[in-house]
Amino acid sequence: MKIAAIAGSNANHSYNRMLLEFMAHHFKDQDQIDVIDIRQVPMFNESFKGDAPEVIKDIDQRIKAADAVIIASPEYNHSITSALKSVVEWLSYKVHPLTGKPVMTIGASTKDQGASRSQVQLRDILISPGINASVYQGDEFFMSNVTSLMDYDGHVTDEGTIHFLEKCMNGFRFYAKAIDQMNKEMNNK
Amino acid sequence: MMKILAFAGTNADFSYNRLLLRFMKKHFKQMADIEIYEVGKLPPFSVDTSLSEQTEVWKLKQKIKAADGLVFSTPEYDHGIPAVLKSAIEWMSYHTKVMDKKPAMIVGVAYGRQASARSQVQMRQILISPDCNTNLIPGNEVLIGNVRDTFAKDGRLVDQKAIDNLEECFEHFIEYIQIFQNVDKGELNMAVKQPTISDAYIQFPTGRLSLKEVQQIFSTIPFEVDLIDSTDHFAWYSDKPNREHVRNTASLGETVQECHPPMAVPAVMSIINSFREGKKDVVTRPLWMNGHRSLIQYYALRDINGHYLGTIEFTGSVEYILNLFENGAWDKDATTGASKKTNDSAEEPEEEMAVDASTGASESSDDSDASEDDTPLAADESGLDATTGASETGSVDAEDDTADASTGASENDD
Ligand SMILES: Cc1cc2nc3c(=O)[nH]c(=O)nc-3n(C[C@H](O)[C@H](O)[C@H](O)COP(=O)(O)O)c2cc1C
Ligand SMILES: Cc1cc2nc3c(=O)[nH]c(=O)nc-3n(C[C@H](O)[C@H](O)[C@H](O)COP(=O)(O)O)c2cc1C
Repeated sequence: MKIAAIAGSNANHSYNRMLLEFMAHHFKDQDQIDVIDIRQVPMFNESFKGDAPEVIKDIDQRIKAADAVIIASPEYNHSITSALKSVVEWLSYKVHPLTGKPVMTIGASTKDQGASRSQVQLRDILISPGINASVYQGDEFFMSNVTSLMDYDGHVTDEGTIHFLEKCMNGFRFYAKAIDQMNKEMNNK
Repeated sequence: MMKILAFAGTNADFSYNRLLLRFMKKHFKQMADIEIYEVGKLPPFSVDTSLSEQTEVWKLKQKIKAADGLVFSTPEYDHGIPAVLKSAIEWMSYHTKVMDKKPAMIVGVAYGRQASARSQVQMRQILISPDCNTNLIPGNEVLIGNVRDTFAKDGRLVDQKAIDNLEECFEHFIEYIQIFQNVDKGELNMAVKQPTISDAYIQFPTGRLSLKEVQQIFSTIPFEVDLIDSTDHFAWYSDKPNREHVRNTASLGETVQECHPPMAVPAVMSIINSFREGKKDVVTRPLWMNGHRSLIQYYALRDINGHYLGTIEFTGSVEYILNLFENGAWDKDATTGASKKTNDSAEEPEEEMAVDASTGASESSDDSDASEDDTPLAADESGLDATTGASETGSVDAEDDTADASTGASENDD
């Protein structure tokens, strides 16, 4: 499956980006995962003149080229990062590549319970009318206390975590196929 | 009057949420002094943003400290708050406690009927998360929908029901702030009733002083004193009337990094480190402040064994002394022989630190000279409101024995 994977952090050293890179490597036999780095995306501004900044046009194309999307989001103040929210706003304004796309949210946080609240919030954001993504509601994959499960260079060191990730990906692939089928049928009508 | 800092949670050129705050500012001007803050001024939040790009962030933190309460006006973008507002909150919660226990209120306008309900729910969760920990007023929802009917073309809120609700909620908010402020004061009064050591004397080898005398001596001498303790925290300042640097008790306990404008931090740290390492004992900066000639001297505070206890900043106008000098007060030496003597001895501790005569320059030469720490004061630093700005020494060169006085621009304008 072709997957566009958005790393929802603009930190230079980001566990969420490394998690996606780990997945791109780990699942390379089944999926082609394109990790999208959002560090160059400017702050969303409704008064922007023109369609969208070039980086957003690029992200738009990469999402459109994919069968499904994964968003890895950190949690800042019990919420998603402003950096990711800015990307989402651009993608709900003049370009709408997420409409109807199967999306799975995952997350990593350095704290206890981390990323659970921001996931719930991100799902709510993704189903808003301006975005209208098909959000996978199955398994919740988030890594709290990520530094105990992943080393500083981004290798997931915990076997249980890897197994659960594989399980989540299986469920998501199934879901993505079903949504794809549904979208095709709707387009035929 | 109550000071309220109100955040327009948008960077759009036109915004109903901004109009709402403008309406509130006018409508409630008898009740509160509302300052509208534009979050679009801040850089996008990133943990990798360099200190030199954080001047605006620092200014915002000072504003928050000085405010009695915060109002957030939030649009709804994709069921959430706009990224630009979230970014501001990240700045205000990252490595800082400025929002801690600060009374806060949320208001919002949206096009549709449901108003900005979802983004407000999200905003509530964010404002009570541990790193923000604002004292958010419960209930009192201001959700204004259907903008086309509620706002007139000229931007006034015209819907009477919406105005009534806004009045009720804002009055509650002001009361809410007052209640918490009174609780705090009540506790302070309690403390005063408790036995204190205020009647005791501190016995110095050279005499005794009561605590009250100590306090009043510091308020009376025509120089103000600030102390950064040995762990680099802002520990104390003298309560002198009409200070050159206006200080705020909310800054007490902050680190040097927190209580200075970002551009000044490297220079301040280089002074402190030179004191800590025993390389220097004093740094002197003649400069213009608030329109008069002033002198700032930093002294290393040491115990009798020479161990570093902290850095004191000693600041005052020298206009009076210079006028005496210019009017010839020292010319007739015979009658005033005494002053000559003190003059000589006063130079002793400064031996190697002699102030370079050529540096008496005013702040105008400032930017050109900011030298080796690679952080020239930005031009707009001069607008800093120096609530804390302790020692905005843009460029005191720690390696050089002469203090570079051509800095300090930031001290003036406010
Ligand atoms: C401003 C800020 C706020 C944060 N708030 C939370 C939080 O509410 N919950 C949490 O679990 N972690 C929080 N964290 C810690 C992040 O989980 C941690 O920085 C994580 O490494 C971010 O993901 P990244 O490595 O992909 O950038 C916060 C970090 C920052 C910088
Ligand atoms: C990217 C974007 C997403 C939006 N999403 C929502 C939404 O989820 N719900 C809503 O009621 N309005 C939504 N709106 C409309 C805004 O509420 C509307 O633009 C409003 O005027 C914004 O407030 P302001 O006038 O203070 O800028 C969205 C607007 C933009 C630009």
